[in-house]
Amino acid sequence: MNIIETHDLCKQYGSALRVAHLELDVPEGSVYGFLGPNGAGKSTTLKMILGLVRPTAGSIRVLGKSMDSVNRLSVLRQVGSLIESPSYYGHLTAEENLRIVQTLRGVPERNIREVLQIVRLDGQRGKKAAHYSLGMKQRLGLAAALLGYPKLLILDEPTNGLDPAGIQEMRELIRDLPGRFGMTVVVSSHLLSEIDQMADHVAIIREGELVFQDTLEALHGRSRHHLALRTTNNAVARSLLAEKSVPCQEEEDYLILPILSDELTAQLTRFLAANRLGVMRLEERQKSLEDIFLELTGKAASL
Amino acid sequence: MKLLRLECYKCRRRKIVLVCAAVLAVELIWMGAFFTRQDAEDLKWGWMLLLYNLAMVDAIILPLSVATLASRSCELEHKGSTWKLLETMVSPGRLYAAKLCWGALVLAALLVIRSGLFLAVGIMQGFQGEIPWGRFGLFTLISWAVSMMVYSLQQGLSLRFANQAAALVCGISGSFLGILSMLFPPALIRCVPWGYYGLMSLVGMDWNAVTRVTRFHWQWPQPTDVVLLFLWAAVFFMAGRTLFVRKEV
Repeated sequence: MNIIETHDLCKQYGSALRVAHLELDVPEGSVYGFLGPNGAGKSTTLKMILGLVRPTAGSIRVLGKSMDSVNRLSVLRQVGSLIESPSYYGHLTAEENLRIVQTLRGVPERNIREVLQIVRLDGQRGKKAAHYSLGMKQRLGLAAALLGYPKLLILDEPTNGLDPAGIQEMRELIRDLPGRFGMTVVVSSHLLSEIDQMADHVAIIREGELVFQDTLEALHGRSRHHLALRTTNNAVARSLLAEKSVPCQEEEDYLILPILSDELTAQLTRFLAANRLGVMRLEERQKSLEDIFLELTGKAASL
Repeated sequence: MKLLRLECYKCRRRKIVLVCAAVLAVELIWMGAFFTRQDAEDLKWGWMLLLYNLAMVDAIILPLSVATLASRSCELEHKGSTWKLLETMVSPGRLYAAKLCWGALVLAALLVIRSGLFLAVGIMQGFQGEIPWGRFGLFTLISWAVSMMVYSLQQGLSLRFANQAAALVCGISGSFLGILSMLFPPALIRCVPWGYYGLMSLVGMDWNAVTRVTRFHWQWPQPTDVVLLFLWAAVFFMAGRTLFVRKEV
């Protein structure tokens, strides 16, 4: 079952279509990575899912219910969110901040202590939020999102501004949530490596358009191995390979071949040599996730 | 009620009591300075003189005070980027109403205490005539109603603009226009929201240019002015609320 489904979702600002005909399917119980370069429309999409921004066109279903003005707040009772920067009252302590959310959500008071422990802020609960570091504020934002132990957690770039230790901590926490609390987590990022380490499903958007949506395994599947061959005359080598029914294509002075067995590879090199062609390079290559991301988005893996 | 309670909770450590105490102190000092300059002949007017001048002081002090209170309540949401959190739990319309109710409560408390203080001052000064309890009560109600109309405008501005300078400049301009409008013809005063402090005063003044004698008399607010006050309040409320509810966070 999909916990979020969007159909033909669009958002237009002026004449610019920021989100274009998005069809997202977020499976229940997954950590769903929502990946795209900065300005691709990730935050706008997440805000539309939460009903904070009105879609120009299309429909959204969350937890099986349509996100219209009638259902919105009742659906959101089971959704926690942390969008862009964390929300907090700087003049109040962490505990006081969470008490406001706890009262509004109508959840038991003991949840405050529990979520403070989960995000490891229980030792700092009496300190004013304004005096927190950015990482601590981010964890406070996550605590507020977790307070009602929601079925769905939407986190928009939750590791922004965190130091490497904080990023690692946040990553582990997010990875554990489906197992520990049965939550589905949607986490956006512009960093492929981050999503690669957290998510099991991934969607990639570019300029508001969905360019990939599947399991992370399927994305890795695209990074298949191949052979790269360079000879003294690639054009002749290409026709000789065609004679032997070996598919190949030319790419930057190399002929790209599928992975062949050791025996067949040896036969081919002998065959090329017999036809007076020298083999200058023969490499086994794998397309990295970065290459795939670059292909899909037209931008570098971390922009 | 839950949202109103939370508004009070959020305003912890926001020095709201200090702002209110400062308003009372300024009004007390102002009126104290005024009364010490009056001769026995003027002091004969006692309660009327007090209420007439209090309406004037309100027109100067309250617009800025109301702007400050509205700003204190709304700024904390902008500062902490809390709209995107709150609006996943409560509708924007209810948030707007809770903030307005908080303002109504604080202003009611402030103005009741203010009236109590000046009643005590009048009694201690031994003003002539019967203590006008009813008129003091009505004066408090009018001050509150006008302040709420101004509060609706200020809250709309404070919610609309994250930078509170716009709302506070409006408050300062209101203080200036509030007192200046007392010199305007009545038709023009009605076009100045802050002018209603003076326009709805319960005491009128006649100054005889020949004898150079000032006389005060009790008066009631004009029904037209009451209707106009509600109209202004409704316009500010609807405009502020609509802009806030439609705003995407």
